[in-house]
Amino acid sequence: MTFRVLDPTPEKAPPAGQLAPRLATLEGKTIGFISNGKEGTKGFFGHLDRLLREEHGVAKVVMRTKSNYSAPADAHIVVEIKSWDAVISGIGD
Amino acid sequence: MQLTSRTYDADNIAAVQELYHSNGWTDGLPIVPPTADAVQACLDWAMMSPDQLIGIEPVRGLAVTAEKLAINAVMAGCLPMHFPVVLTAWTAMMQDDFLMHGATASTGGCAVLVVLNGPIRLELGASGGFNALGNSDRATAVIGRAIRLCLINLMDVRPGAIDRSTLGHPGKFSYCVAEDEEDTTWLSLAEQRGIPKEASAVTVMAAGAPRQIMNEWTTRPEEILETFAAEMRANLRHYSIHPGNYALIIPKQLREHLQAAKWSKTDIATFVHERARIHRREWAEVGKGAVVRDRGDSVYPAMESADQLLVVAAGGPAGGFGAIIPPWLGNKSHAVTMAIGACVDCEPPKK
Repeated sequence: MTFRVLDPTPEKAPPAGQLAPRLATLEGKTIGFISNGKEGTKGFFGHLDRLLREEHGVAKVVMRTKSNYSAPADAHIVVEIKSWDAVISGIGD
Repeated sequence: MQLTSRTYDADNIAAVQELYHSNGWTDGLPIVPPTADAVQACLDWAMMSPDQLIGIEPVRGLAVTAEKLAINAVMAGCLPMHFPVVLTAWTAMMQDDFLMHGATASTGGCAVLVVLNGPIRLELGASGGFNALGNSDRATAVIGRAIRLCLINLMDVRPGAIDRSTLGHPGKFSYCVAEDEEDTTWLSLAEQRGIPKEASAVTVMAAGAPRQIMNEWTTRPEEILETFAAEMRANLRHYSIHPGNYALIIPKQLREHLQAAKWSKTDIATFVHERARIHRREWAEVGKGAVVRDRGDSVYPAMESADQLLVVAAGGPAGGFGAIIPPWLGNKSHAVTMAIGACVDCEPPKK
């Protein structure tokens, strides 16, 4: 007996995000960090902060932490992103 | 309206199984072949067209249609009459409050607990009696399994893909319980949460595995409930201090003592809310002293308010047992209750 059966998946790729244009240099830029708030992010972002300022000439690092580490970033953080030159969103687990 | 999903031809039932397993479309168990006839029968029963949009998953923006839910429901073993429950559960899961993406992706490894209320339980033969949290009956088994297969296939909630669970638990195969409404004087869970008694309803909760308790040495409500509260305190100590929805499953033997003393579900919740709380310093007793810091005197209740407790009458008639079901991660996900909107007493539309 042959069976004709149906595909159980969406068959379409989910909506893809688009990368922002890459920066030519980090010199003098403002970089935002979005932490999910887990314990592991503290050391990681602290180290990255120092690295960006001392070795790459970054002017300013802004650190923001999500109120719920399992949900998308809070609306006020998303709004703030527009004032940054680049953003690093990290997961610490 | 025609079904639009891609089709595959398989020579025999074994080839069907290999097709689905090899594509990662199963939970590891054999599936029922989702033929067009079987899928269409589900849609007819729910009076839905295949392209009916059931919802859009809020975080990743994935659209879910009735056709795709029906395919996965058939695979899980659902009959058409089970399908409205799957539809409603999924509609509930896609509400912002449920935070489906976080709950199903998290390392915490919870499952989606589905509680059935109302007349549909009887129509489906869903049992809240013997083995209520296990393999109690066909309806709850296949409905719970359909929830998981839909997650796997529609949201890519596969182990190591979106599903990052460290351990998970057996409820991730199927986690559905029908409340034993015929054998209790209490309001049903759905009624407690605002649904009229005549309506059928589904409650979904991002839930850890059940933690079973036993106390058959008292008839006093305060002592019985102290055992439940102690297990919740254990969860606060050993797992997470985030407050949120906990479920209490109370089988008949303990239920009868509570009912004889005229304790309602609200009375139970009020008592348990008062008792299920710990001091942060208790974490030092269970190896978590590092996070007590200077907040040892802070008190952490299991729930923010008594109405966060979901009290469910279910379980076999004998045995002084009960269970608490803890939340995935407190208030990060909220239980959602939704009435089943499809006309479950209607015949499928005439062709």
